Amino acid sequence: MRLDEMRTHATSEVVDAVVIGTGAGGAPILARLAAAGLSVVALEAGSNSEPGDHTADELEAADIYWMDDRLSAGEMPEVFGSNNSGRGVGGAMLHWGAFCPRPDARDLALRSTTGAGVDWPLAHAELVPYLAEVERFLSVSGPATYPWDDTRSYALPPVARNAPAQAMARGCEAVGLTATDAPVGLVTRDVHQEHWGLRQACVNCGSCHQGCRNGSKASMDATYLPLAVAWGAEIRPDSMVTGMERDEHGRITAVVYRRDGVEHRQRCRAVFLCGGGVETPRLLLNLGLANSSGQVGRNYMAHVATQVWGRFEDEMRMNRGYPSSLITEDLLRPDGADFAGGYLVQSLGVQPVTLATSLARGGELWGDRLVDLLEDYTHLAGIGINGECLPHESNRLVLTDEVDAHGLRRARVDFGRGDNEDAIDAHAEATMREVWEAAGARDVFTIPRSAHTLGTCRMGPDADSAVVDADCRAFDVDNLWICDSSVFPSSLAANPALTIMALALRTADRFLAGTPRP
Amino acid sequence: MVLLHGLGCSARTWRHLVHELDDELDCVALDLPGHGEESGSDALTVAQMVETVLEQVAELLRVRRPRAWVLAGHSMGGKVATLVAAAAEAGRPGLTPPAALVLVASSPLGVEPMEESKRAQMIGWRADGELSEQDAAEFVDANTADALPADDRAEAVADVRRVSRTAWLAWLERGSLEDWSGTGPVRTSTLVVAGGADGDLGADAQRRLVLPAVAATEVVEVPGAAHLGMLEQPAALAELVRDHLHWTLPPPDLPPGLAALLASDRVSARTRRVLLRRLAPPRPHEQVLSDAQRATLVAVVARVLPQRATDVDLADRIEADLAAGVGDGWRFADLPDDVAAWRAGLDTLAGRPGGFAELDDDAQDAVLADVVAGQVGSANAGHLSTEQMTLWFEDVRAAVVRTWVSHPAAMARIGYDGFANGGDGARKQGYLRVGAGEREPWQTLPLEVLA
Repeated sequence: MRLDEMRTHATSEVVDAVVIGTGAGGAPILARLAAAGLSVVALEAGSNSEPGDHTADELEAADIYWMDDRLSAGEMPEVFGSNNSGRGVGGAMLHWGAFCPRPDARDLALRSTTGAGVDWPLAHAELVPYLAEVERFLSVSGPATYPWDDTRSYALPPVARNAPAQAMARGCEAVGLTATDAPVGLVTRDVHQEHWGLRQACVNCGSCHQGCRNGSKASMDATYLPLAVAWGAEIRPDSMVTGMERDEHGRITAVVYRRDGVEHRQRCRAVFLCGGGVETPRLLLNLGLANSSGQVGRNYMAHVATQVWGRFEDEMRMNRGYPSSLITEDLLRPDGADFAGGYLVQSLGVQPVTLATSLARGGELWGDRLVDLLEDYTHLAGIGINGECLPHESNRLVLTDEVDAHGLRRARVDFGRGDNEDAIDAHAEATMREVWEAAGARDVFTIPRSAHTLGTCRMGPDADSAVVDADCRAFDVDNLWICDSSVFPSSLAANPALTIMALALRTADRFLAGTPRP
Repeated sequence: MVLLHGLGCSARTWRHLVHELDDELDCVALDLPGHGEESGSDALTVAQMVETVLEQVAELLRVRRPRAWVLAGHSMGGKVATLVAAAAEAGRPGLTPPAALVLVASSPLGVEPMEESKRAQMIGWRADGELSEQDAAEFVDANTADALPADDRAEAVADVRRVSRTAWLAWLERGSLEDWSGTGPVRTSTLVVAGGADGDLGADAQRRLVLPAVAATEVVEVPGAAHLGMLEQPAALAELVRDHLHWTLPPPDLPPGLAALLASDRVSARTRRVLLRRLAPPRPHEQVLSDAQRATLVAVVARVLPQRATDVDLADRIEADLAAGVGDGWRFADLPDDVAAWRAGLDTLAGRPGGFAELDDDAQDAVLADVVAGQVGSANAGHLSTEQMTLWFEDVRAAVVRTWVSHPAAMARIGYDGFANGGDGARKQGYLRVGAGEREPWQTLPLEVLA
């Protein structure tokens, strides 16, 4: 995005706020604060780019993924890299899947309705106006009527159904499930995005996860960040935060970062830490900050993201078109379920390296069986879920003794599934197999998988059990706010990006309102 | 093979060489602007000649769809050819880089060494417009070691006289003096030929001024030739070209359909550059594995991904990535760093009773199934435990499939054309048809035959 004419600030200037990270958490906050007239500087570890700079090549697209080594352990070690967090002006939203379901009200009250997990310390109704605002601002596309929420409407018509979506529609109908076009954070018509330019209608290229090349997808660098810059915010790319300076009251007075090998410190009145579910707790743990509760790094959650695959008689060529163009929310609270929470189902088109890696890792495939499937790439299609994950004592992020190039200790993430996740996985696998077989898939098989990084700086009612309060303000540090997937008290079945953006706007509003700490 | 002649020559200057190579190569000799049949052209600067050739080559590739192409340049045409190769390597739409570059008595990218008196004399020849037959003959004779056969000499003299005055002066007064040495060096494998009896552009000048700009380590001298080697010693020159192409033409795993799609404007320059780089063998890299470890790796890779119609050197590419520290953003906490883990994993396999590489396919498969089941491992120093072997073999599978699937030959094999989902135009092409059973006319992958 264009940064050549933005307002700049001296590091000696005490700016109203420093925002760390420019993804789904940082970008809306930056825009909101700037629009309110505050002086704000965003520090982004990655580089700046234009949409046309991205490449469809899956390996080359690593330049928008967070590729610094993380260590994975546990029963189901996490696959990072091209999965989850990103790097660059726009954060992980550069490669987000643009799948845009709203969180379900029941998911925010998991504890009170099921006895498992925890409740969110804020009401779903409080989020709804923000969700709607984000959808409007991003020009989210979707169906004319949404079967599970009759109050909702989308400004633009849905994306084209690709082959996997057609199959899922067929299969769902056959087994009596309601399915419809997915809400998607991209424009299906040319749309002029204020302060950025023309977001061209999606051309079905299928490379959302490698970076959208025509501004169709609601990446932050085509939406909230240009808005922020227009209102006077400054974005400093290639700036990795390594420290924070504090006064005698514990308030942060400056953020320390490295750019081009040189250390800088930006003086500030407040800090918004929006580095994502791994980098945010990693930085706090490295700095020994905001952790009197001992909860930083704990409650690590990753959605149950089981996939079911099969071969079809027709050519599917599933890399074409928006990858997840069909959704069903029928399984959010399935009848007779033996688990808390539920799951969303989506159709899947997956690029070949990603698919092959999943087959080789989670699918444990190799040899002729693997080659048979890969050579049948044009006939494969999948269906997958995003399901509730409860927090568990043993699932957490800690620091190792290994340090990265900046001298920060690397993160180790332990992850495994509990009984509830296993039950969701089993239910989902059975359901999806039924759908896929009804759709005409043959040679159906399952790949266990998980997705997203959540919960590592939990939001909660008190300083003993949580890192931030319901306003996303750190209990321990008066002028530190945290807003990204790390503050999620429970995982929600919905993919997190829309919720993070809504939460970000709310966080900015609470900050601006100067709401006293409860 | 596209051939670019030198100053005062034309497409037909190459005809003996073309005759020698005709059986093996589809040869297209071009008239450069201001020369031969193109004497009316006014695209006479170096930049304009390069642009003209780029357009002509793109059209040739589009129409003839060769599996690879080669570029040859002589003298002035050598400078143009080198710049064309550099542009093709930089990802110019419509082009794949040439598989090889052949430079015959080439002008350097920098300032051409030429005595000022000679330059003045040649400029003087065209002072009055027309070039006299006598001056043209002096030019031809000065550029040959021995007198050419009468027919060739007459034709060569006629070609010199056909050059437009502006073209003649444009090269002598400007093109030969322009310093383009900041471009390059080109990576395309290059054959650099000098006439044993050439003057200013002889072997010494080739070594000093041409070699640094190209991918070649030596200058090959052709005895019995001065500056017009293709007319003087066509058979010897053809033999050199044949020999060079034998080593440099790509293996036939880039079928014409894929080459044309890669070259098309549906592919961005960045993506094209990446895929072309991936088609080439890995760059020379540090050997992080011992010979024994490499032998085990080759055996493991062959069992993880038995290639059927492609022949991608997976083991070498994996070792190159290990040497370069190419990671995937995470690793198992229970494994050491990548290089140590791969060494130890391979040693553990090789060190088990019966070894690994020595086993037949079925026995190797059985061992790998045992690895997955947590039944292969060792407590010896430098080896991996059973639990570690299971994790390491997961990394092995991922590395092998990633390396294979990302190779253009594999993409062609499995029918993936997503790399061609949008070029660099103001509007990206994407896909018009996304439903099951629908294909757009340009979607020709997978190819039935992969040579």
